[in-house]
Amino acid sequence: MPRPEIEGDWVMGWPDRKRSVISAGKDSQGRVINGRCPVTQLEGLLTPTDAYYVVNQLEVPEPMHPDDWVLQIGGLVDKPIELSLKDLQKFPGRTVRAVTECAGNDAGFFDYVQKGGKKPSRINQQDMNARAAMREKNAVPSTEEISNESTTTCAVSAGEFTGVPLAEVLKKVGIKNNAVSVRFQGFDRGQPDLAVQYRSVGRSDFKLVDPGVINYEKGMPMAKAMHPDTLLAWSMNGEWLTHIHGAPVRLVTPGWSGNWWVKWLEQIEVLDHLPQCYYQHHYFTYGNGPDDPAKEMITAMGVRCIILNPLDEDSPLERGSHKIQGRAWSGMGMIKRVEVSVDGGKTWADAHLEEPVERWLWVRWSLLWDADKPGTYKIMARATDETGRVQPQIPWNYQRKHFDGIVPTEVTVG
Amino acid sequence: MHLVVCIKYIPDPEAAFSMFSIDEQAKKVTPASGLKHVVSPFDEQAIEAALRIREAHVGTRITVLTLGKESSRNALKHGLAMGADDGVLLADAALDDGDAYTTAVSLSAALKKLGAVDMVLTGRQAADGDAGIVGAGIGELLNMPVLTFAKSIAINSNTVRVERVLDDGTEIVEADLPAVVTVSNEIGAPRAPSLRETMRAARKPIVSWTASDLGLNAENVGAAGSRAVRERLLAPSKVIQCEFIDAATPEQQGVRLAQRLREAKVL
Repeated sequence: MPRPEIEGDWVMGWPDRKRSVISAGKDSQGRVINGRCPVTQLEGLLTPTDAYYVVNQLEVPEPMHPDDWVLQIGGLVDKPIELSLKDLQKFPGRTVRAVTECAGNDAGFFDYVQKGGKKPSRINQQDMNARAAMREKNAVPSTEEISNESTTTCAVSAGEFTGVPLAEVLKKVGIKNNAVSVRFQGFDRGQPDLAVQYRSVGRSDFKLVDPGVINYEKGMPMAKAMHPDTLLAWSMNGEWLTHIHGAPVRLVTPGWSGNWWVKWLEQIEVLDHLPQCYYQHHYFTYGNGPDDPAKEMITAMGVRCIILNPLDEDSPLERGSHKIQGRAWSGMGMIKRVEVSVDGGKTWADAHLEEPVERWLWVRWSLLWDADKPGTYKIMARATDETGRVQPQIPWNYQRKHFDGIVPTEVTVG
Repeated sequence: MHLVVCIKYIPDPEAAFSMFSIDEQAKKVTPASGLKHVVSPFDEQAIEAALRIREAHVGTRITVLTLGKESSRNALKHGLAMGADDGVLLADAALDDGDAYTTAVSLSAALKKLGAVDMVLTGRQAADGDAGIVGAGIGELLNMPVLTFAKSIAINSNTVRVERVLDDGTEIVEADLPAVVTVSNEIGAPRAPSLRETMRAARKPIVSWTASDLGLNAENVGAAGSRAVRERLLAPSKVIQCEFIDAATPEQQGVRLAQRLREAKVL
């Protein structure tokens, strides 16, 4: 299917392109509870807030007025304190531009790359409203229904976040010497959406651990918590953080997948051990299967590179010059190299990395391709980051987290 | 052929209930400030129906007509971006806060002023008030036949044939033109405005008329001319009672549950 016609809209009274927004799933009150980013429609490096993907494991909480918000910091600290938003804003601020990616983004490509079959699409996305309706009823799809659903794509965006480095706040309260981790708790509560976890695995014919009603929480190793780019952020893309993205304050952990970016923060606790939080002990883990005793929590993302032009849906292409273009990012730092192959991986050429190339942000890359000969082409791209990691880095795991494989775009030239 | 589509600019019907405040004393519903407004979805389908008629009858002109605040101009722009040819805005404080009758009076006056109109289309009802009687009112005031709940519309020389949606099926009715047709959602999804058509719409004419332009006396329109009286306005209260059925065994619980449901006349 070719790309849809460009839609028009009225922006500030003038006729313009329709602004790209998320493909949203709404609850019965019309409120967005999840959404996918229109990555194929966006230019530039920062994703507009209205187009930023949304994933929630628990219920979206009632909004809290910023003046009523209090952050409790305790545990292994010299001076447990409570901070208001104004208190937090008195610390020296910092702005970080980073990719946020859901750990399950592009999970369906794990199977496609290994076994072939139906290819996930970045244009024809999931029916998010059907999923939202299922969420409200706590319904779980059968294995057969899951296999008929489209898999998760477009759960990735990039934004500019302003806040205060967590390290500055922890220094102020004084961390005890035996501190090992920091536990973050959001004021979002609820029963985990088991359907999300079954979809992640690709089947629902096994039993999941259901902890009942819990708050969202994650326990982060001290080194990442003290990284200067780990922020307590109140601003996103130049404006106040919006409720659906975790206002008044959320955690920003560049390089680590979205489940670490705890929204609606209310409590921080310094601990002498790594806590067994539900969302790092039972879900968001690497492992071989539900019964694997050695499951390991996921942290930094792999190395990623996606082709946004051309898409499979653009085929057939006219003969002539085409710009192969896409984005690349890594969970461990700056992208150093992107290579492109148009012959299914037999030969590779270096793509141009378009400035700026930043540590946590994705980079636009491009390569001009003279498609003179008619035929079928398999276009591939692979990235290398500043630590020398070349994709793919993340092996198959049963929850299908952190996919970073190389997915060919297949087109014919007429 | 000249088609006129009457449309309404309303608070987003998908907005949460909590976005509206209900003043039971003043008997008014007030949407939260900044709440997004949209063209009533049934009216969008009426525009779609008009566009399909134009595709089958080259040379057809489509006018979109709305009554409301100045911001309702956005509804007209949306209709023009979908493909309508021109727009008419009835914006005047004297026309505000009317009922279905005064709305029909004002729209009918505008339709008369527009001159020869072959067909008036509206949505089956506005998605805010949901009364669904303005279309019939226009037909009554202009002495036109009214065909409601259209699923499909076909025009053959001087007649219109409509497939109407009924509770248990459909029926086909025919009337002479000019006529009023109210369009149901079964007509299908309205087209999204393309960028090209939206840019073209910026140059399409929108005229604005007041009550006096229409020759209407302020006493007969808007709040002053309304015939409907709102007796009471209230938010429905939800009373949820939870009763836990306790018994020694699951079987006994089941029996007890069935008994309770029977007592409550649910079974």
